[in-house]
Amino acid sequence: MTDLLVAPEDMAFREEIRDFVATHLEPETRRKVSLGMPLQREDFLTWQRSLHAKGWVAPAWPAEHGGPGWTARQRLIADEEFFRLHTPPLPGFGFKMIGPILMRFGTPAQQARFLPRILSGEDWWCQGFSEPGAGSDLASLRTRAVRVDGGWKVNGTKTWTTYAQYANWIFCLVRTDPEVKKQRGISMMLIDMASPGLTRRPIRLMDGTEEVNEIFLEDVFVPDDLVVGEVNQGWTYAKALLEHERLGIGGIGRSKHLLGRLEEMATASGRGDDPTIRKRLTEIGIDIMAVESTTMRLLAASERGTQLGAETSLLKIRGTEIQQALTELALEIAGADALPDRESGQGQAPFEAVVFQFLNWRKLSIYGGSNEIQRSILARQVLGL
Amino acid sequence: MIRFDAPSEEALLLKDTAMRFIADNYGLEKRAAMLAKPADAVPAHWTEMAELGWLAAPLPEACGGLGLSPTDVLPLLEVLGAGLILEPVSPAILGCAATIAAALPAETAADLLEAMLAGERIEVLATGGASATAPAVTATWTSGSWTLSGKAPMVVGGAAADIVWAVARVDDALGLFRVPADAVALTGFRLFDGQTAATVDFDGVSCTEDQLFPMDDTALVRGTEMALLARLAEALGLIEALYRTTLDYVKLREQFGRPIGAFQSVQHRMADMFIHCEEVRSMVQLAAEAMDGAPADLRRQVHAATWVKLVDNGRAVLRDAVQLHGGMGMTDELIVGHMVKRLLMLIQSGGSREDWLSAAAPSLHNSREAEALHA
Ligand SMILES: Cc1cc2nc3c(=O)[nH]c(=O)nc-3n(C[C@H](O)[C@H](O)[C@H](O)COP(=O)(O)OP(=O)(O)OC[C@H]3O[C@@H](n4cnc5c(N)ncnc54)[C@H](O)[C@@H]3O)c2cc1C
Repeated sequence: MTDLLVAPEDMAFREEIRDFVATHLEPETRRKVSLGMPLQREDFLTWQRSLHAKGWVAPAWPAEHGGPGWTARQRLIADEEFFRLHTPPLPGFGFKMIGPILMRFGTPAQQARFLPRILSGEDWWCQGFSEPGAGSDLASLRTRAVRVDGGWKVNGTKTWTTYAQYANWIFCLVRTDPEVKKQRGISMMLIDMASPGLTRRPIRLMDGTEEVNEIFLEDVFVPDDLVVGEVNQGWTYAKALLEHERLGIGGIGRSKHLLGRLEEMATASGRGDDPTIRKRLTEIGIDIMAVESTTMRLLAASERGTQLGAETSLLKIRGTEIQQALTELALEIAGADALPDRESGQGQAPFEAVVFQFLNWRKLSIYGGSNEIQRSILARQVLGL
Repeated sequence: MIRFDAPSEEALLLKDTAMRFIADNYGLEKRAAMLAKPADAVPAHWTEMAELGWLAAPLPEACGGLGLSPTDVLPLLEVLGAGLILEPVSPAILGCAATIAAALPAETAADLLEAMLAGERIEVLATGGASATAPAVTATWTSGSWTLSGKAPMVVGGAAADIVWAVARVDDALGLFRVPADAVALTGFRLFDGQTAATVDFDGVSCTEDQLFPMDDTALVRGTEMALLARLAEALGLIEALYRTTLDYVKLREQFGRPIGAFQSVQHRMADMFIHCEEVRSMVQLAAEAMDGAPADLRRQVHAATWVKLVDNGRAVLRDAVQLHGGMGMTDELIVGHMVKRLLMLIQSGGSREDWLSAAAPSLHNSREAEALHA
């Protein structure tokens, strides 16, 4: 399918990506990624440094800030190749979230200070939006910042903060004006994770990992120069961030990667030729094709100058549904071979991580705006209901 | 004939005691402490469970049991499933003891099972092979003793077993060998839901004549069906518990100034969850009542059909339970995540859904027998 979508001039580009991965990806990291095992900080960072040295670490960034200057189509090709070749999917909090926000709304000083360190991996950012009482209804967040001499004093609790244990910076939404309509009194602040008063509690997930955390802020001081853009405009920036995210959110590369693994699993289980399994694999392949061509079609429209709106929510909905369906099919293929605990040493290759991945990927339909919320957005903003 | 009878007084009493016991002993913290122990540690409450009559409940009175009908053990097993117990009640009692009770003369079975029913021992059954009637273990007679060979890769509940009963091929028949756990190479480990299991390697194990008990296919089928029913009942308990927990949660959790249960899309999801639950309840009860009275072929079909429903509805319920809890549904800190894992474990333990579908296929649609069951 992608071959159909890859222009002849892009073929050489794809070869270049393949060569690079072949020479730079550590075999052990490759193995972990190919099995769907959880990754550690160094697994990500080692790969990030290789990409950085090559100038490829932030495909979507403009060249002036250190991006490779790829076209949108090249980015999709690269994304697919990286997944297919089992490279670690780098968390997007720096590259895809706060980086682009700072490029658009940050001061030159903030850009100069933070952007290079995002690329190099010296800074690891985490996202402090959600709170115990503010999930789907993010605008109701209660973390409070009050004016003090030279900056702000912040109090509140953030939760579900992914990889905060690896991060040295967190970008937070905080309430700076409780008197106005809730979306209008929110600001975005950059907070040093080493600030006095900031503490962290790991949250254990049912899959046994600790990839999310709770962050407690007690009288944390944030100097004025770490406020992003204008005070009380944080909601606008957060929305811009989500829009930036949308096109890449279909997870096509990830789905294709997993589809390939399912083929291997079916063969390993002796059911490679089982007509039911073949049928299911083909059906999911068609679903992926539909999302992929929709992404490309929207992309083409956007390159012709059409302003994309909330219709891109459909990519998030279908993309995550497909990824979850794939993890379920993996369970079906693995059957009772999936039973041993991941840490029991009794796992049956290649099924060691299928349960982990099924459980862990339930998050895909919850975070980034749950699929229920995405459907409401489609209904309201696109269908006009 | 299937009556959908209400459970007996005795069954309800057992259920109530079980609910109280679980509430007192199986809070998440206490359970976490049990999980921190090695897989082959003796499970915490085995003796108490014997004293409460849970081990004896499903076995015939002549074998030292309480003689509850399959239908009447459902309520207890549902509670044990939803209660996430780590003791191997289902595998040891409904898998192993029920097979022994069906295979051996009542008096012999009563003698052999006494220690387990008193909570002094754990005994499990190793069938091992791809299907129960194609066992992984083979026995050969050489110079005055039996030598076993073969490996059972997944004996659920077997990590802390004292006795492993091996279903073995003996010439062209089946036999049951009673093997002390210290005579075999047994490796205990945990499954992803925290329950324990073992791989048991019988290669080169030598047994005397009096360790072998003859067994016919019918006994093995009975044991296998009882074990299946136990898993169905536990899964039903879990599905219902997930539904109730989620229902409570959507009434409590507020977003956008309202309980999330006030949003219509959430309401529809909950209504579907309720439907899934009710269907599984009916099918499991049907499967239990079919145990006594329905012919073997029909029983097999009903059980397979029930399993297919369990897989489909169970997966739908566990997906929605997580989804409607949002981030909280992903954690180890609420009961939901633990229930999801146990339910998923039960579903996976049945192997391929397609196989069950084939087993359910032939005559359910136009079966006169199926009609006779409901007549
Ligand atoms: C693994 C993981 C990692 C995460 N990482 C981060 C992170 O790094 N940083 C961060 O800030 N956040 C993060 N999140 C938080 C995530 O964004 C929230 O979980 C999400 O916004 C949902 O909020 P909630 O969990 O409070 O669920 P709730 O908002 O309480 O929702 C519960 C359920 O109700 C449904 N619902 C709610 N409102 C409606 C409605 N109006 N109509 C229909 N249905 C509705 C939801 O769809 C969901 O199914 C992460 C979450 C997870 C699970």
